[in-house]
Amino acid sequence: MIYYLQLTLNGIIAGSIYALFAVGLTMVYGVFRFINFAHGELIAWGAYLALLFTQTLFTLPIYHAVIPALALTVVIGLAQERYVYRPLRHGNRITLLIASIGLSYLLRNAIRIIWGSDLMTYGLRPMRGISFAGLSITPTQVAMMVAAVFFLACLYFILTRTMLGKSLRAVADNMELAAIMGINMKQVSFTVWVLASVFAGVGGILLALDTNLEPIMGLTNLIKAFAAVLLGGAGNVWGALLGGLCIGISENLGVAFVSPGYKDFISFAIIILVLLFRPKGLFGVLRGIR
Amino acid sequence: MDYLLHILIIAFIYSIFAISLNLELGYTGLYNFGHVAFFGIGAYTSALLSLAGMPVAVSMVCGMAAAGAIGAILAIPALRLSGDYFGIATLVFAEMARLFFLNERWLTKGPMGLPGIPRPAWIGGGVAALPMFLIFCAILTFAAFLIIRRLTTAPFGRALKVVREDEYVAQALGKNVLTLRIKTIAIGSVLAGLAGGLWAHYITYISPGDFTLTETILVLLCVVLGGRGTNWGPILGAFVITFFGESVRFLPIPVDFGRVVAPLQGMVYGAVLILIMLKRPEGLLPEY
Repeated sequence: MIYYLQLTLNGIIAGSIYALFAVGLTMVYGVFRFINFAHGELIAWGAYLALLFTQTLFTLPIYHAVIPALALTVVIGLAQERYVYRPLRHGNRITLLIASIGLSYLLRNAIRIIWGSDLMTYGLRPMRGISFAGLSITPTQVAMMVAAVFFLACLYFILTRTMLGKSLRAVADNMELAAIMGINMKQVSFTVWVLASVFAGVGGILLALDTNLEPIMGLTNLIKAFAAVLLGGAGNVWGALLGGLCIGISENLGVAFVSPGYKDFISFAIIILVLLFRPKGLFGVLRGIR
Repeated sequence: MDYLLHILIIAFIYSIFAISLNLELGYTGLYNFGHVAFFGIGAYTSALLSLAGMPVAVSMVCGMAAAGAIGAILAIPALRLSGDYFGIATLVFAEMARLFFLNERWLTKGPMGLPGIPRPAWIGGGVAALPMFLIFCAILTFAAFLIIRRLTTAPFGRALKVVREDEYVAQALGKNVLTLRIKTIAIGSVLAGLAGGLWAHYITYISPGDFTLTETILVLLCVVLGGRGTNWGPILGAFVITFFGESVRFLPIPVDFGRVVAPLQGMVYGAVLILIMLKRPEGLLPEY
């Protein structure tokens, strides 16, 4: 019993990170109506940039390195929009999708050139886990949870309590109507990309704190984010959050039943099942706060 | 000289692979981002059967049949999805197939791969057989080209283009959109299976690492560079990409930087893909 509880706890931790990835992806989808295949690369770049700032040239402690790393991730996110997606926005949908696949491939290989293909870590000393009631959790994992909750709370505040968040939701609801009402589309687009990049970068750094960095991490986690987004209903921010948690928990609990080699298979299977049986997402009926 | 033969063989195999993707992506407008799965299914089926002692020709046909059957079965549920979602589903399917190859060690030997796949008996192995293998690949490419040209210039091809442009118009004209799409995917998967079988029997060694997103990007690049929805486009694209990829080997790169060659190539492929989409989305040979 305690074994399953531990797996669930690990699942919640992983899931809160997946939720960070998924909210950005779903926001971009909600506003621009296209799936950014290069979102995963923002995750990986966030993590690698933090590594860069902790290493030789800067030697910042990791919690300081986060800030310049996130700033640069945002620059990458905005550059994606400015130089690739904006010129293609009014074209054929397939050109946009193919361009985003090309972009993700470009960025992933850039990581391999700069940092190589080997596994890397931030080189933090492993810390002893805290145990309570038979469950164990490391301080890093606690920090991950706290950070995830903090950032998601900020998002909640921005989306529901600020004018910017309201206009963002209005655009997600109906772009033309929002434009007619005088909502500044440039500002909204800017906000969406900043938020998506920050959340992807934070998630990537947190994930790399607990596991390690590898160039393929963008793609692996993009698929998890896809699963979370689809589970929550594309474009639905709170759905994506719940979806992320569901993916994390089911993946970790699933390890109890299938071989670990198939761990990623679980999120794939969820994607396929959701697409087939609930294309609007599990919470599609609720319509949630968009 | 032998090296040139090798490049030409690879280019022909990729031509078949690109022709098959072009039928789905270019003519019918299906965003198949997991086409490499069918290449892999064809390669593994054919390799396993021939290793078990079947003649190469028979096992290649079985590989094509397996790829086609799995494609058709997958298509029925997946085609309920539209556009982008179909893209995600196929991308995910390709990753699932790769995980399957990687984890089912009893069948595929997992990451070790399958060595010693026989060449066709009447062609024989070794360098001496390269010209024969080249002719074999060229004939098959030509056959695939003719079949697809026949299909796409026939009313069937025009129906596919209508489906691509507007599926409701196609429906209103009395075309069964679902059947047309399933047929496209079945034919495309059979040809991808053929390309995979040729690949396995030519290289004589396959492992799950041969069937990743990289191959999907490469074949996608061949199709969009050459020209979507044209008959010659994918072949042109496959030749350009293969020769470009191999030419990188001749650059005077210091040994210390050897490790950056493959990622650099990948970056160029990604950048070219973006540039084509931005500057010339119709490719080198435009459809109209």
